[in-house]
Amino acid sequence: MSSVIELGPHQLALEEPMYFRVKLEGDRVAGLDVQPGQVHRGMEHLVMRRNLYQNITLLERLCSLCSNSHPSTFCSAIEEVAGVAIPERAEYLRAVADEIKRIASHLFCCAVQANLIGQTALFRRAMEVREIMQRSKEAIYGNRMDLAANCIGGVRYDLTPDAAMYLARQMEAMKAPLDELYLQFQNNPAIMARTAGVGVLPRLEAIECAVVGPVARACGIDYDVRKKSPYGAYDRLEFSTSLQQAGDVRARNLVRLAEARQSVSLIEQCLAGLVPGPLCADLLPEIPAGEAVAKSEAPRGELVYYLRTDGTDFPLRLKWRVPSYMNWDALKVMLHGEPVANIPLIVNSIDPCIACTDR
Amino acid sequence: MTTLIDEVAALLAAAAGEETVATWRRDRKGGLTGWCRLPSADSLLAVGRAIASIQGRLSMVTAYLTEKAREKGGREIAYHFDLDGATLTLTVPLPLEGAQVPSLTPIFRNCDWHERELMELYEIQVVGHPDPRRLFLADSVPDAPFERLIPYSTFTNGAGGKALWEKVLAAKEKP
Repeated sequence: MSSVIELGPHQLALEEPMYFRVKLEGDRVAGLDVQPGQVHRGMEHLVMRRNLYQNITLLERLCSLCSNSHPSTFCSAIEEVAGVAIPERAEYLRAVADEIKRIASHLFCCAVQANLIGQTALFRRAMEVREIMQRSKEAIYGNRMDLAANCIGGVRYDLTPDAAMYLARQMEAMKAPLDELYLQFQNNPAIMARTAGVGVLPRLEAIECAVVGPVARACGIDYDVRKKSPYGAYDRLEFSTSLQQAGDVRARNLVRLAEARQSVSLIEQCLAGLVPGPLCADLLPEIPAGEAVAKSEAPRGELVYYLRTDGTDFPLRLKWRVPSYMNWDALKVMLHGEPVANIPLIVNSIDPCIACTDR
Repeated sequence: MTTLIDEVAALLAAAAGEETVATWRRDRKGGLTGWCRLPSADSLLAVGRAIASIQGRLSMVTAYLTEKAREKGGREIAYHFDLDGATLTLTVPLPLEGAQVPSLTPIFRNCDWHERELMELYEIQVVGHPDPRRLFLADSVPDAPFERLIPYSTFTNGAGGKALWEKVLAAKEKP
């Protein structure tokens, strides 16, 4: 017997509003229509009515979890148009901010999923480990979410030797818990029973849907912007792309936890390589007429910005595409044939960002 | 990377004519971006298929209408493709009135939302789109809000502030 049900944020266990119209055959998903736009804030319209400097602040408020990736990628696009090279120290400091946000974002996603499968203790543990990162953000940037780390031509914050030492200690404190979480998600039979073979996205379909980030890497697609098109300090940092092959919920979480562990190492490398020098290019540059595309690896995957300027301080057009944008469509493949009970878990396994999608 | 540049040059020439050439820029880290203007939207499908044949991935589509372009009576759409880390941007000139582009969704599945979005924001018709419904905006919002003055609260469907509460209260008063 086929039927259609409507699911809202509450049923999907989402913090933000997204609506699904799901076609069912019996208790299995047979079709999906995603209905975005519930939190549409017209931000692409707003950015054209604010100058480039004001837009850094606005874009940081686009969404909470990738709130460093947006301003830093936007600044990269401006720097590309203006031909500004950012100082080496700023490159490392941008990477530090990015990686701190990545760890916190990945842990949040894994924690939410642990909660959804009834693993309350694991949920608490993941959030507890994440709290180390939240405290680090608060100590260094003065804020637990938006870091206000970026400006055109560099960064707005510095790490004093004391702060760097503190951050190094926090990183040390992350290592054992992250390894322990990885083992839990990898081997714990109760977690495996709910995540292995669930919400599978086969590699070919992943390529067809053009998914990016951990969702793609969990299907064996070897694509990480930090490797494919290095920016900032990443061309000098040692790391490998985290890959899994199964394309299921478990694989996506393993990619995230491996990346979080890798981010700890990346932050340590940045602290070691932090050369003395200025934090920002000397002068606020004049932004000439031009166009540029800037990309970065946000926690959820490739983030793309296209900027077109005409020599004034206002962008002629600023467009961005967030990593979640294609993942919604891939849910049609992941959810097909799955029982209704698995919908919230699979939806959360793509780490959806609704504020980013709707803009 | 020279091979990629040559490969793209050959594909563009074959699909859109010899005069269609891309210029390439390398950023400070070696990242490659290519920029190309297509003569018209007629060659778009052929170019799309050519890019798909070398495993190009559609990254983003940007439609825009600037004041200057409006005065000249034209508008543009930029299609951004990822070629294994390099980005190729193809700009297509369109007329102000009756702008039409063929849908690339049959070639790139993820073009679906991009095209639905640009159709609701600008007066551009995407021909052959498999599902041309509104994507983000409510049906009550007038067409092409990026091309005309529409109160912000209408545009965002009253997502915040007074307009939302007026709607809520109006709904409450209904029997």
